[in-house]
Amino acid sequence: MELIVALGLIVFKVAFLIAILLLLPLPLTWLERKIAGHIQQRMGPMRVGWHGLLQPVADGIKLLTKEDHIPADADRFLFKLAPILALAPPFVVFVAVPFGETVSVLGAEITLYVSNMNVALLFVFAVIGIEVYGVIFGGWAANSKYAVLGSLRTCAQMISYEIPMGFAVIGVVMLAQSMSLLEIVRAQADVWNIVYQPVGFFVFFVAGLAEAQRIPFDLAEAEGDLGAGFHTEYSGIRFAFFMVSEYAIMLLVSVLVVILFFGGWNGVLLPLPPLLWFALKVAFFIYVFIWFRFTFPRYRYDQLMAIGWKVLLPLSMANIIITGVLLGATAAP
Amino acid sequence: MSHAGDRVGTWIGWAFFADLGKALALTFGYMFSRSVTMQYPDKEKWLPYPRYRGHHFLKRDEEGEIKCVACELCARICPCDCIEVIPYEDEKGNRRPAKFEIDTARCLFCGLCEDACPADAIALGQQYEFSSFSSRDLIIGRDDLLGKPGKAATGGAVVAARLSTEKDVLVEASELQGYNWWRNIRQT
Ligand code: SF4
Ligand code: SF4
Repeated sequence: MELIVALGLIVFKVAFLIAILLLLPLPLTWLERKIAGHIQQRMGPMRVGWHGLLQPVADGIKLLTKEDHIPADADRFLFKLAPILALAPPFVVFVAVPFGETVSVLGAEITLYVSNMNVALLFVFAVIGIEVYGVIFGGWAANSKYAVLGSLRTCAQMISYEIPMGFAVIGVVMLAQSMSLLEIVRAQADVWNIVYQPVGFFVFFVAGLAEAQRIPFDLAEAEGDLGAGFHTEYSGIRFAFFMVSEYAIMLLVSVLVVILFFGGWNGVLLPLPPLLWFALKVAFFIYVFIWFRFTFPRYRYDQLMAIGWKVLLPLSMANIIITGVLLGATAAP
Repeated sequence: MSHAGDRVGTWIGWAFFADLGKALALTFGYMFSRSVTMQYPDKEKWLPYPRYRGHHFLKRDEEGEIKCVACELCARICPCDCIEVIPYEDEKGNRRPAKFEIDTARCLFCGLCEDACPADAIALGQQYEFSSFSSRDLIIGRDDLLGKPGKAATGGAVVAARLSTEKDVLVEASELQGYNWWRNIRQT
């Protein structure tokens, strides 16, 4: 009986999480277009629903009813596999991501995470790495020059940015003495990691921008020079898969930034519910992502590589060494 | 500050991303500025200034006669060669246009015809919505030109508008009551 209840709870949590992740791109696309519009002194979507609120629904219907086109010379198996490979990992990752400690619903204590892995951070980085295959396969299978160029860039970009990203979180792990995201947040109850790890945050955030393929690092789908990059040849629902995946990763990076550096659901000053604090912080970083997109130009390919290897990598390594030395100095009696 | 000091200041600024911060502040400011676009045609419409050069119209004199004396000066000066005037003599012995056609598909709305006219008979009015599916419909004859709206008395504002699609797509605008578009442009 106990087992069945526990199992049912997990199934319910997973279903809830998937529903949220699938539906979240709707408000996010609306928000992105609204913010884009207002930054450019336009109004953004205005016609469908109040201030265009139903525009994403209309877009979704359009994408669902569009022809699902596969180029004649495409590798059909990989072409169909790629969107799923791109979509699944960001969803899987959220299994390891906590959204809070516990809430009591109807007297029962419910934990706000699906599982509390002790290597959650490692799991997140390992699984999110698989997403790159979706992008690479998608570009390769379409048999189009733009798409191949897009996925070539993705390969190089992911290799060079995943390393500093991984290094950047080591300082956080050292401070919390744990790789469990839950423990990391608990360790920040008094002081957020951003105070101790400003460089780590900087490296992680920049690498996260590259990981989510947002401007200024969106070379894989640079509209200006590559059509639409790796998903040039995709249409209809398969294209929507890539879009959902992109928004899920954007959400993931925001969530990780909040958990690793901004104290997760620990609030300051205002005694808001922890879950609300968490949501507010994540929303702020999502806004920053969108704000960056309509402020900065795209980096050139060689600049991208230079930033990755010559700036972020040394910075993250120095960060590890300095954190280690300081930790050792303070731990010594 | 000295030149070298300036350079050092710039470098320090770069190290702390002062340039990126400036850009972010700028776009943040723009985000809360008023939009310059308008919801044309079903909510708002732009009424042009009185000086605006829109669709041509032909004027009548006090007796209701067409003012044009068919001197063909407008046809002469037109850089696009888009006016065709054929004169005739009416009952009173006046020279009038039997045919007066403007090919608005070719017209560049320079207003030279208005300037050249010795009889003050032709001018460019406020109308700017006359797109068409066929370029043949854009050749406007004498009688149509007499019925075209004249110059706007006031203008330079956004007014409330309504789109009616019953028989023709038509924008119905109300009186001037809107805001000035130019004021919305941020001056920095
Ligand atoms: S406005 Fe200029 S181009 Fe148009 S009819 Fe008059 S003279 Fe010709
Ligand atoms: S409109 Fe004026 S310039 Fe043109 S033919 Fe008539 S009188 Fe002459």
